[in-house]
Amino acid sequence: MKLQTSFIMREYLRPEMLPTTWCGGCGLGIIMSAIVQAIHFRGLDKNQVAMVSGIGCTGRMSGYVDFYTLHTTHGRAPAFATGLKLARPDLTVVTVMGDGDAMSIGGNHLIHAMRRNIGMVAIVVNNNVYGLTGGQSSPTTPIGGHTTTTRVGSFERPMNLEALARAAGAPFYARATVNHTAALTKLVELALGVSGFALIEVISNCHVLYGKMNEMAEASRMIAAMDADTQRTNPTLQRRGQWPLRLTSPEAPSWQAQTQPLEGVSGEPRIPRGLIFQRTGSVDFSRRYYAKLDEIRAKREKGEGVSKV
Amino acid sequence: MAKIRRGIFEIRVYKELCKACGLCVAWCPQNVLAEDDQGYPVTPGLSQCINCKLCERHCPDFAIEILPPEEKVIDVHALLHTR
Repeated sequence: MKLQTSFIMREYLRPEMLPTTWCGGCGLGIIMSAIVQAIHFRGLDKNQVAMVSGIGCTGRMSGYVDFYTLHTTHGRAPAFATGLKLARPDLTVVTVMGDGDAMSIGGNHLIHAMRRNIGMVAIVVNNNVYGLTGGQSSPTTPIGGHTTTTRVGSFERPMNLEALARAAGAPFYARATVNHTAALTKLVELALGVSGFALIEVISNCHVLYGKMNEMAEASRMIAAMDADTQRTNPTLQRRGQWPLRLTSPEAPSWQAQTQPLEGVSGEPRIPRGLIFQRTGSVDFSRRYYAKLDEIRAKREKGEGVSKV
Repeated sequence: MAKIRRGIFEIRVYKELCKACGLCVAWCPQNVLAEDDQGYPVTPGLSQCINCKLCERHCPDFAIEILPPEEKVIDVHALLHTR
């Protein structure tokens, strides 16, 4: 594993936009540097990559990186990325979304991008809270998590992105945390090689809003807690189908009661991190689309298969 | 010919980017970094640095950087032989 140098970062950032507007210690900067490093180590040119982002703290990321960037409407980042990927199939599209962006307002767009298997890397930054608007509870706030709208602790069942990705047909799903930065970089690097929709859920920290109300006011404490709260998946056992029995075994029907909710950053069972599942033989939608288009064109030239009204 | 690297790593902190979040200090395994009175990282134990780059990786603002010392090629076998 190659190591980061800040010299690498400088080529891929817009220096006039720095420093970032994120709070000190926010994990979004770590995620941004992981994405940039993964693109660098993958050997991609700056002009081959497009970053699409929605609204929220995460949406600001597209302003700092020096790729082709789109800062789009709230929750519609996958929809814009779909159009971009179909118009320019040669581009590598990276979509960054927050948890509110991807799962609450943009849930439908995310599902249909996964269903169509659009070729993009979607990074969902999960910090359990709506950060930009003042710490309201989000779809991923764990049960018992205190936010400004759930003062006595949330009692709603948090959303399980893993089960959703499995059901909607995403070919690649990985979970990383901002504590395990080398693994995060490696997983983004792997996801960039997937033909189709590669989804990475990154567990991040919002110590300013979520941590303050849940006795983790320091960024370092909140990030360090991720080490104890997550568990690395074992690829060997996963191949044998022994791990984890919770919901990631390929035979488990994703709609049943065994698809437990994501329990959040505390409590057992520990959340698995690493490459959770990968489906082989996935084909990018844009490739299928253009193949179909050629097929129709060829048929028309022969005068077949066209309904003459 | 065995190469060994001599010298002390250089740690650069860019204060115009740094937000004094303390992540680099929290992750340093060798106690190289410490916080000054404003919370910015300083390097009192610079000679202990092992170039693990955890501070660079955990810095959300790309404000810290480790530069390796210049590589000196030293013939270890010749050194051993003279002893």
